[in-house]
Amino acid sequence: MKKIFNVPDMTCPNCAMHLEGLEDEIPGVKRITASYKRLNMEVEFDETLLTVEQIILAANKIGYHPEPIPA
Amino acid sequence: MDLIVAFITGLTTGGLGCLAVQGGLLTSTLAHQIELDLQVHNGAGVVQKFRPHIAQPILFFLIAKLIAYTILGYLLGSVGSVLQLTPLMSAILYFAIGIFMIGNGLRMFNVHPIFRYFVIEPPSALTRYIRRTSKNGASFFTPILLGTLTIFLPCGVTQAMMATALSTGSPLQGATLMFAFILGTSPLFFSVAYFATRLGSAIEKYFTRIVAVTMLIIGLIQVDTGLNLSGSAFSFSRTISILEAYALPAQTGLSIEVTENGYSPQTLHLPANQDLTIEWVTRNTQTCARSVVIPDLSYQTILPTTGRVKFDIPAQEKGAIIRYTCSMGMYPSQLVFDLESTETDQ
Repeated sequence: MKKIFNVPDMTCPNCAMHLEGLEDEIPGVKRITASYKRLNMEVEFDETLLTVEQIILAANKIGYHPEPIPA
Repeated sequence: MDLIVAFITGLTTGGLGCLAVQGGLLTSTLAHQIELDLQVHNGAGVVQKFRPHIAQPILFFLIAKLIAYTILGYLLGSVGSVLQLTPLMSAILYFAIGIFMIGNGLRMFNVHPIFRYFVIEPPSALTRYIRRTSKNGASFFTPILLGTLTIFLPCGVTQAMMATALSTGSPLQGATLMFAFILGTSPLFFSVAYFATRLGSAIEKYFTRIVAVTMLIIGLIQVDTGLNLSGSAFSFSRTISILEAYALPAQTGLSIEVTENGYSPQTLHLPANQDLTIEWVTRNTQTCARSVVIPDLSYQTILPTTGRVKFDIPAQEKGAIIRYTCSMGMYPSQLVFDLESTETDQ
């Protein structure tokens, strides 16, 4: 499953790299592609292992507050 | 750009600006070294204070980075020499660097979302590879590899410096420029990485505005350089030099002293409507003033350290102004053709 989140509190290009680093930290995440220019991130994950809320929580822990874009 | 300026730029803006991206990689590697050292320390049952061995990996990282960027500077200078940049091409390059830096400075101030497009983001696949390499343990190979890979993660200031290395058009100058710049970034990198692995983000937040202001200032200087090299009538430094010239009596003659501080006189009044031969005079001159660029006449020459070089100027209409600078866009000066032919001896 793919889900796009707005991440309004990205302040620099490093934030995108920081968020993409979550793909190594959260079991069930296949790939994260974050963009500082668009202030969003696309998360590809296994919905049987992970929920959107858990992704948000993991991002909160490293200082970001993603908001899921309704499909 | 002067090597000292490159070094100071690295020491200030470059170090701070690149800390966020590259410092993260370094501290990530160090975290593993610390964990390993901690395991050994706890296993040995020693009571003394825990001191992780992180100085060496930091040094390896920084030395590898220094070597990699010096080679990159050499390559960029080589490309620049093959391209044989004309003064106009250099002007455009400087102008672009300036706009890029100003855009990044304004982005850091969050002036408008459009300035986020001034960021050049490396491809995700590359950052993913580098990130995973940084977590691969504490062998000395890892910091060396990461130090080398930082050439693919240049921050805005570094990208601007890379473009400047390209504009030198000389492999040696490109290499020394990048060497001086990266050497300048090293003390801050070492201090931050050594004293606290978490200090990076704190410093980044605290100094963001300082970096942004410095980026704006350097950006304006680069735009000014671009304007001077293009022969533009308006630039900040040219305006100042013209105002200074107004304060002096009009200077005539047919020779220009090329000094450590530029060209004297900055404004030389010459007769109109006749062919002229002027003379550049150098006396142990070591600065870029020796490399004279006159964009309007497509004239570019490098003068000897000491000597006299003649230069023919075709007849100019009365009131014409020919502007010139050194090849780095510094020391803007001008020839003003506003005298009658009898007013100056040929």
